[in-house]
Amino acid sequence: MNDLVRRPATGLSRSGSASALRPQLLRELLAFVLDGESYALPLYAIREILKVPPVTEVPRASADVLGIIGVRGRITTLLDMRRLLRVAEAPISKASRVLLVDDGVEVLGLLVDQVLQVHRLQDDEIELAAAFAGNVSEHVLGIGRPRASRSVSREGRESVDPNDILILLDPAHLLRRER
Amino acid sequence: MDDSHAMRAFIRAALEEDDDAEVVEAESGFVALRVLPQQRFDLVVLDVNMPDINGLELIRFLRKSPTHARVPVLVVSTEASERDRERGASLGADAFLRKPFTATELAERVRALLAAGDR
Amino acid sequence: MANVHEEFLAEAQEIIEALSRDLLLLDQAQREQRQDPDLLNEIFRGVHTLKGVAGMFGFPRLGRLAHGLEDLLDDLRLGRVALSQSVLDVLFEGVEGFQRLLTETDASEPLVDLAAFAERIASVSRRGPAVRGDALARYAFDESVLSVLTEYEEHRLRSNIEQGVPLYRLRARFRFASIDADLEALKQRAKPLGEIITYLPSAEGGTGDSIDLDILLASGEAFETLREALSGEEATLEAVPLAEGAAATGGDEGTPARPAAPGQAPPEPPAMPAAPDGLLASAPDASLAMSSQDAVTPASAAVLEVPGAPVERSLRSVSHTVRVDIRKLDHLMNVVGELAIVRSAVARLTERLRGRSEHRQLAIELHRVHRGFERHLEELQDGILDVRMVPLGQVFDKLARIVRQVARDHGKEVRLLLSGQETEVDKLIVEELSDPLMHIIRNAIDHGLETPPVRELSEKPPTGTLALHAYQKGKSVVIEVEDDGAGMNEERLVETAIERGLIDEAAAEELSHDEALNLIFLPSFSTSSSVTDLSGRGVGMDVVKTNISRLGGVIDVESELGSGTKFTITLPVTLAIINALLVRVRGRVFALPIASVQEAILLDHDALRTVEGREMLTLRGATLPLCRLGEYFGIPRDPFEADKQYVVVSAAGHRRVGFVVDGLEGQQDIVIKALGPSLRQVRGFAGATDLGDQRVALVLDAPGLLEELLSTTDRARRELRG
Repeated sequence: MNDLVRRPATGLSRSGSASALRPQLLRELLAFVLDGESYALPLYAIREILKVPPVTEVPRASADVLGIIGVRGRITTLLDMRRLLRVAEAPISKASRVLLVDDGVEVLGLLVDQVLQVHRLQDDEIELAAAFAGNVSEHVLGIGRPRASRSVSREGRESVDPNDILILLDPAHLLRRER
Repeated sequence: MDDSHAMRAFIRAALEEDDDAEVVEAESGFVALRVLPQQRFDLVVLDVNMPDINGLELIRFLRKSPTHARVPVLVVSTEASERDRERGASLGADAFLRKPFTATELAERVRALLAAGDR
Repeated sequence: MANVHEEFLAEAQEIIEALSRDLLLLDQAQREQRQDPDLLNEIFRGVHTLKGVAGMFGFPRLGRLAHGLEDLLDDLRLGRVALSQSVLDVLFEGVEGFQRLLTETDASEPLVDLAAFAERIASVSRRGPAVRGDALARYAFDESVLSVLTEYEEHRLRSNIEQGVPLYRLRARFRFASIDADLEALKQRAKPLGEIITYLPSAEGGTGDSIDLDILLASGEAFETLREALSGEEATLEAVPLAEGAAATGGDEGTPARPAAPGQAPPEPPAMPAAPDGLLASAPDASLAMSSQDAVTPASAAVLEVPGAPVERSLRSVSHTVRVDIRKLDHLMNVVGELAIVRSAVARLTERLRGRSEHRQLAIELHRVHRGFERHLEELQDGILDVRMVPLGQVFDKLARIVRQVARDHGKEVRLLLSGQETEVDKLIVEELSDPLMHIIRNAIDHGLETPPVRELSEKPPTGTLALHAYQKGKSVVIEVEDDGAGMNEERLVETAIERGLIDEAAAEELSHDEALNLIFLPSFSTSSSVTDLSGRGVGMDVVKTNISRLGGVIDVESELGSGTKFTITLPVTLAIINALLVRVRGRVFALPIASVQEAILLDHDALRTVEGREMLTLRGATLPLCRLGEYFGIPRDPFEADKQYVVVSAAGHRRVGFVVDGLEGQQDIVIKALGPSLRQVRGFAGATDLGDQRVALVLDAPGLLEELLSTTDRARRELRG
């Protein structure tokens, strides 16, 4: 009946952006849409993509918490990516999806407007935030400029101009939360 | 036979790497006395330092029993006192393996003992 | 090999826990100037096993520490080094070290200074002069017997002979099919009577399905007593014959070299084992047996009193247990939860079939099948819950170690009384309980119990008493932590609260005794002017309270200045499945554990009153404060909600509140699941539960909400008056 020793934290390191910069990991990205803009998270950070299940609001929770959802028997906190990135709010639509990410402490759900596709980017398609001076939020790692030919299409449709730029997010920074 | 279940799990895993070995565990001398007469064994791996019925007594039991008089016995122990080791040998243990050992070391020793027994 | 590695961690943890328990017993024996060779050997074996597995599984530092301790313990059990308090200190430090080394990773700073510890071991390992007579020669042993003894068994044999304890041989026949259980039973019977040196399987006797065993026993009990207790149809007891011309007793006749071990009456000459005992002739046999029973669990003057515990210690060698990862049980529980949802769907369908005359017969049969399903499901649920239950003794053992340590660090004498450690609660509760209890206990020793000189001034015994008492009460488990220390100074508590701005003076004047004591649970309250290392680890009683309420429990405090303090913690026995009342609040469904619901009634607007800004309901003559959950949680109004409302009367301890809700959705067994760490700071919810069809409902933390509501009520009341 001994509780086995707790599983060591897998998933993302919370030590900051350094780990997320490992090039081979950074090249595989999942692109999604928020308020008409394309963003991307490293693919290794995403555990699963779900349709949006019924959401139960949690009174008194912080503003970026949309509520809780049941994911195969586990209660998972759902965060609104729009609120995290401070973009205008919008209701959940048919295209909305939940990205399940493991930040090393827990699995969280992130609500996005639409999931686009997986990109494999070459080094020359990525511009790191450190390179362009100026006021960038610390959860922005850089900018990706995918050449259309390299895109791995998802669901076979293109809804956003493939020449669009991708805002590359740092999951470790994005999910750094008070607990 | 070993009273540490982690040790038993380790030994079992090491032995089962090989062919179609069937491993029966006993966590104490008491249990060993129940399990041993139930079937024939090709090899017995035991620790000297066990509570109640120690490994030496079990070796003596094995050597005197008609079914297991000739079964190869491999004694695994930490640097057991030379005295216990000598007694084990004089009672009829076939080989010793000192902990810690690797799975490969164990498997090699077991293969050698089984081969010797087949001849 | 990943599983094997987990096996190692689990076993190492188990061994460390057993070691710490056994060391406490050894410490107790030492204080009572009793020797307990079995216990010492058990501890040696634990460390020995730990060393073995640490080497195999890649924990070299743990292995090194174990190696050092093993050598020391080997010297102790072989009588080469004498046991003393300073040796015990080193052993306790060693166990702490094991615990820390388990959590040490390659990347982390080393948590244990092995070289320094090796020196500590060396400093206490001064060997006494080896005295080896030819004690073994006094008996006529068969050479084949001596040849299978391990070094330790030989030492125990010698040592018993040197002390003049008579030796017996019990020859018994055992059937192979049940030999392990039978031997274990015999061992337990023999234990209070003497010491079993070894078991010798003999190949001569026995038939195809049985075997004769010679059991070598050293005992000071009368031959008749032993024979009655141990021999039976297939067992014979005889005294081991003396060698010719040898005298059995060593040293001065009648004065043993050491005090008798538990259960051992003073040695008697073995030459006449069956003769009436001259020394004790006046005492009837029955009372003799009683007195040896008493010696096993001393009734008083013990530093650590653990009634009934010693018997359990050695049972682990023959076990029919399976170790299970608690997560697997959680998974099973989830499945049961899903099944419960399926069950209610079947019930609904059956109900619909019933409405159709052409399917009546089918409906009746289905109903019967459903009843059977329901019953088995309940059984399954109870079974899983039962598996999750572990005795509170697990936490108590840990605490006992801490008590010893803290008392020593603070120069206080503490006697720890434990009772009810067999009380079972859910594994999860046990885990979550250790920190709060540890904190209360540290506080009690640090701030509660006085130093011996101070105690003597107030005419108290110099040794303070700390009692941990657990018992089950209905579906709750109650744990009391009581000390006979200085008690809490009500005036100082109030002063501190005012100083910290937690209450104002006007409010302070109105505080009752209980309310004043409860100030300690307010955040950022601490009366200690100097933060000591132990109780001041940045956690206050408010954290203790929060942790307990997260488990669905309540904590109360009683204290009298000068005579002591008592904390009472009331917890649910199990967290996993509870019966809940589902309530609807502005279109949202919440679950309210039935345990905290007294009744649910229709809200009668005529019985409503407003007292000092608060809505109150007069219910059968008593006033009940109300809380409109929708407004309280700031949930937007649902335009379709009917006017009809309900009051759910909820109680925790002696506090009561009526929650106003819009609808009652019935009762249901629910599986409570924890909210994620990111919602941990959100108060008012004990967790969430799946309702089926993917819907999730929050479970209200009734005790927590009551607490919160009533303290704001008090504040509001005071503000209005002040």
